[in-house]
Amino acid sequence: MNIKKNMLFIAFATLFLSACSTSVERLDSQKEVDLSGAWNDTDSQLVAREMVEDSLSRAWIGKFVKAEGKDPAVIVGKIRNLSHEHINTNTFIADMERELINSGEVQFVAASGARDEIREERGDQDLNATEETRKEMGQEYGADYMMQGQINTIIDVDGTTQVRFYQVNLELISIKDNRKVWVGQKKIKKLIKNSKLRE
Amino acid sequence: MKKIITVFLIVLLSACAGQQRETNKLANQLQLQNPLHVLEQLQLTEPPERDYAQFHLNVGLLQLLSGDFPGSIETLTQAKKEMAVLTATSISENAAAGTVNETLRSYSGYPTDRVMVHNILALSYLFNDDIDGARVEMLQADISMRKLASKKSLEGQLASSHLLAGIIYELLDEQSNALISYKHAEELLTQRKLAIPKSLKKSLLRMSYAVDKNGQYSRYKKRYSGFPTPIKNNNNQVFSLYFDGVVSNKKQNSIMVPSGNGEQLIRIAMPAYPNMNYRITHAKLSDATQQFKTELIENVEVLVREDLSAEYPSILLLTTARAIAKYELVAQADKKDSLFGTLANLVTALTEIADLRSWNMLPSNIQVSYLETKDTELKIDSINAVQQKVALKVGSKNLLLISSLDTPVFHYAQ
Repeated sequence: MNIKKNMLFIAFATLFLSACSTSVERLDSQKEVDLSGAWNDTDSQLVAREMVEDSLSRAWIGKFVKAEGKDPAVIVGKIRNLSHEHINTNTFIADMERELINSGEVQFVAASGARDEIREERGDQDLNATEETRKEMGQEYGADYMMQGQINTIIDVDGTTQVRFYQVNLELISIKDNRKVWVGQKKIKKLIKNSKLRE
Repeated sequence: MKKIITVFLIVLLSACAGQQRETNKLANQLQLQNPLHVLEQLQLTEPPERDYAQFHLNVGLLQLLSGDFPGSIETLTQAKKEMAVLTATSISENAAAGTVNETLRSYSGYPTDRVMVHNILALSYLFNDDIDGARVEMLQADISMRKLASKKSLEGQLASSHLLAGIIYELLDEQSNALISYKHAEELLTQRKLAIPKSLKKSLLRMSYAVDKNGQYSRYKKRYSGFPTPIKNNNNQVFSLYFDGVVSNKKQNSIMVPSGNGEQLIRIAMPAYPNMNYRITHAKLSDATQQFKTELIENVEVLVREDLSAEYPSILLLTTARAIAKYELVAQADKKDSLFGTLANLVTALTEIADLRSWNMLPSNIQVSYLETKDTELKIDSINAVQQKVALKVGSKNLLLISSLDTPVFHYAQ
């Protein structure tokens, strides 16, 4: 009888302890996982893809190619976070850049931070590299358009239920003359219900 | 075996009370010691997991006052998450609180804590040169206040939060949003029957002039006369917040009485705040020609007492229910063995302790001032005696955090 009791105890203890241990599961980065309802990688990728698709399907690009005889060069500027969440806009900017470059329809110019580093490297080459491999100053490809925007939220709260409405506004501005050639908007609405009970 | 369990329970629960006593002692030391020194002592303590939110709130605030802004952001963000999770009710913790005492429930923060944490985080972001992060915190503070809003009380409604939001919007040139926030601050102060500080009057005039010169500005000009027309100029703008003193600790009011039949000792312990006896001090800011005194925007002493009063009925109900449950438990134990009954009575009486946890290192009150100056140096005097000087850039917008504690003046400029 005692052996049976002890075995039962050990079984329960093992079950209890295994429940406490950390578990890790590898997920497909494309798989949609929404734990808290906050802005996440899925939202970032989805918005970037849809907005770039929209911007490249509009008339401005055709007009530019016809007038200039080349693909437009685009740079992503500041995306301001005006939402209720601490959103890392750098990941969203990276998603936008990837979608733009991979579209193959526009040239893409490095952002100001990266340009500074490259200029420093060219300065270094000027002193240290051989003449055959040295890259000259003043050969940069100037962007034609800058993409800027903001992420906004409106939150409606009632007790433990929240409706979060995200609105991403992006615009493409001609660097030559400040004309806005494209304005895009993407909206995401989420209903979040928090449990009233916990463990 | 029963005796060992009894002694173990007493030791375990007295350790919980000891932890709270230590935190209260450190809060009292803040008036006399450098916040960094108190922070180091606090970080040496090992609070039980259920007190983590309280611990992180205190640590985060002390990190801000010690100038460790990234640390403060990290710690207070943790506290914010903990409080968010703990707002849901735990059945097991409620059962423990209903049978042993209230300290077995996790500290989930009072309404004031849940809003004030955003204020402190916003200041940390600002002094860490991340005004967009500070803006996010102010939006979250607004959500927290909307969650807590009720028609019956002003629970969790902080004028200082609206005011700080207004300042941050103004720093970001979002004049319409700033005006709305200043209006909310004014409404709350009116509902609390507190005087509107001059700085808030000036802010309402300045923003209404910028947004709606002929409509809202005319109304505010009638309401708050005697101020010059807030025409845009190149003067340095200086917003100041002053953290005065340290908020009171809770104390325990307890009574031990014999039961009706005289067979048991029954102990009741309830938390309470002592009478408010803190003498408000002010900070003074002066340039070459003018002197400004900070004015009250938030009396934290009143807020924490309101929070406890709101909880008082449920604490009283649970204390009564617990007293009945403990009486029954002792009676059952006594039936089996009179010695065990006596021991059980001792344990039930000794474990009856009030929950004295709170965010007890907050300032006693928060004050504000606003000035415009052409000078590039400001002198600041506060209760901690040593006069401090702040350099201003020409045409700059500034936010200063001054404290009555032994801290430097923290300065955000743009």
